Amino acid sequence: MPELFPLSPVHYVAAPLLAAFLLPLVAKLSRSFIKILPGLTFLYVLYVSAVLFPHALQSPIIEQIAGWAPPLGINLYYGPMAGLFASLFSALGFIVWLYSLTQMKQEPLDRFYILLMMLVAGATGIVLTGDIFNLFVFMEITAISAFSLTAFLREDDKAEAGFKYILIGSLASTFVLLGIAVLYSYTGTLNLADLALSMEKVPLSVRVIVFGLFLVGFGIEAEIFPLNGWAPDAYSAAPAPVSALFAGITVKAALYALARVTILLFPFAGSMALISILGLVTLVISELAALHQKNLFRMLAYSSMGQVGLAIAALGLFTAEGVYAALFAMINHAIVKGMLFLAVFAMAGGSANLDNLNGMGRKKPVLSFMFTLGAFAIIGLPPFSGFWSKLSVLTAMGQTGNYIMIAIVLATTIVEATYYLRATGRLYLSEGSPVESKTPLSAIAAVAVLAAGILWIGFFPGSIDEILTAGAQDLLDTAKYTEGVLKD
Amino acid sequence: MIYYIVSIIVMLIGLYAVLMKKNLIKIVVGLSLIDSGTHLLLVAIGFIKGGTAPIYSEPGLTADAMVDPVPQALVLTAIVIGVAVTAVALAMVIRIYAQHKTLDIRKIRSLKW
Repeated sequence: MPELFPLSPVHYVAAPLLAAFLLPLVAKLSRSFIKILPGLTFLYVLYVSAVLFPHALQSPIIEQIAGWAPPLGINLYYGPMAGLFASLFSALGFIVWLYSLTQMKQEPLDRFYILLMMLVAGATGIVLTGDIFNLFVFMEITAISAFSLTAFLREDDKAEAGFKYILIGSLASTFVLLGIAVLYSYTGTLNLADLALSMEKVPLSVRVIVFGLFLVGFGIEAEIFPLNGWAPDAYSAAPAPVSALFAGITVKAALYALARVTILLFPFAGSMALISILGLVTLVISELAALHQKNLFRMLAYSSMGQVGLAIAALGLFTAEGVYAALFAMINHAIVKGMLFLAVFAMAGGSANLDNLNGMGRKKPVLSFMFTLGAFAIIGLPPFSGFWSKLSVLTAMGQTGNYIMIAIVLATTIVEATYYLRATGRLYLSEGSPVESKTPLSAIAAVAVLAAGILWIGFFPGSIDEILTAGAQDLLDTAKYTEGVLKD
Repeated sequence: MIYYIVSIIVMLIGLYAVLMKKNLIKIVVGLSLIDSGTHLLLVAIGFIKGGTAPIYSEPGLTADAMVDPVPQALVLTAIVIGVAVTAVALAMVIRIYAQHKTLDIRKIRSLKW
């Protein structure tokens, strides 16, 4: 495709990485570059998305790195699914940058933005790469940035939360690396498409073990129960813009990796059923835990895990509708939960006790309104995006006859509604302290963009229907994937 | 075979340290040991007894007399990643120590699960 030159999916990873390493240098020239450069980088990557994504919807763009053809070389696979997530990550990166312009005051800002860009670059790399070891490296880039960002604020118990995250996160990467090592010893290849074709060389018992290793490894990063003990601490310790990115980016990238690897390499009914059950257990336990939280960030963190559980439960159905619903739930959650984190931090600041929301409906009407909107969207009330995503999950479950799953999802929705409406009630019904403070425009703008996304999907669900259908097909059609990558 | 056994033993020692030790530094050392065990396993996969470096350096050298270079490349990358993780972990240990004046996890309440 010569007309696309010089744009290529590589820029998704290369641009933020380059900017991250340039930042310390340009910071020496002028302090104001520190704030401008990340925004420009994310804008550029969004431009890449705008140009390339329509092409990827037609046919996947397969990019060979340094001219080495797969399976020997590393390739990027920019199909509908990867394109959707890469675009989503860049957009969230941009929004969080916009928000941080005024809300992130903790120095050293240059390091904050470096880590932020590395996090986005790593997560985008996970969804783009077609090589399993490359995937591991990107997972580590994401994880190390995430560890450091968790402990970014130098106060209270932030370092403890970061240490916990490191402890369990590096175990996760060891599990993934072990799985890769075992697969390589049997197949002699690291390319995902080539691996998918060589899986019959691997004895069934070994396949089960490797699937377990990957499930634990990616499951830790994707916050699947019982591997999510790090998450509430990390979410409440990290600066709120970063928590929004954890919910929107790192978890989604790990889920993508789990979905891609499972469907390509371990497409047995048992592995899918196991994922589905784990999703349901995660959903129930997280929602019940969220009910008891006094700290808003912990409440949102548990709710985040619940949403991930919902997406995984739908993914494990292993039908086109199920994967469609899982994708919808993941997109919806990335937008809504990102918005809730940003709105809460702009209203209540870092000390996010539930009481801090009291009376905010009068003091900060715009942010309160948007928080309410997000809460309704998460619960699944029409006409917001969450309604359509939950509806598609329930439809997919109904089509496979899993009525128990439907009952569980509906029951947890009631729990969800309880604690979200309780928080919303605080905004409008309780009397708060009459302290006036203005919220900077950049914070409101960032939250408003996400709120607009919720309303847009809510009123025009058809607009993303085509993308989600293409994404689900892309994920399920493994023959097309392997042929596309290995054709030349 | 001995390499596989040793690598698993090293991993298990590391896992023991992570799970049972009470000192934060020893836990980080344990993490590092788990990493090292994995690296040893990776290298062992590509090892051939009496094999040479994978370069066509002398005439008559065939590919099956060479060790597999891919695991070695992987291990190089994995070692760098391991160093980064260890460095970040130790940096956090320094911060925790500065705040609590102890490295004993039993005395740091917020580190309990």
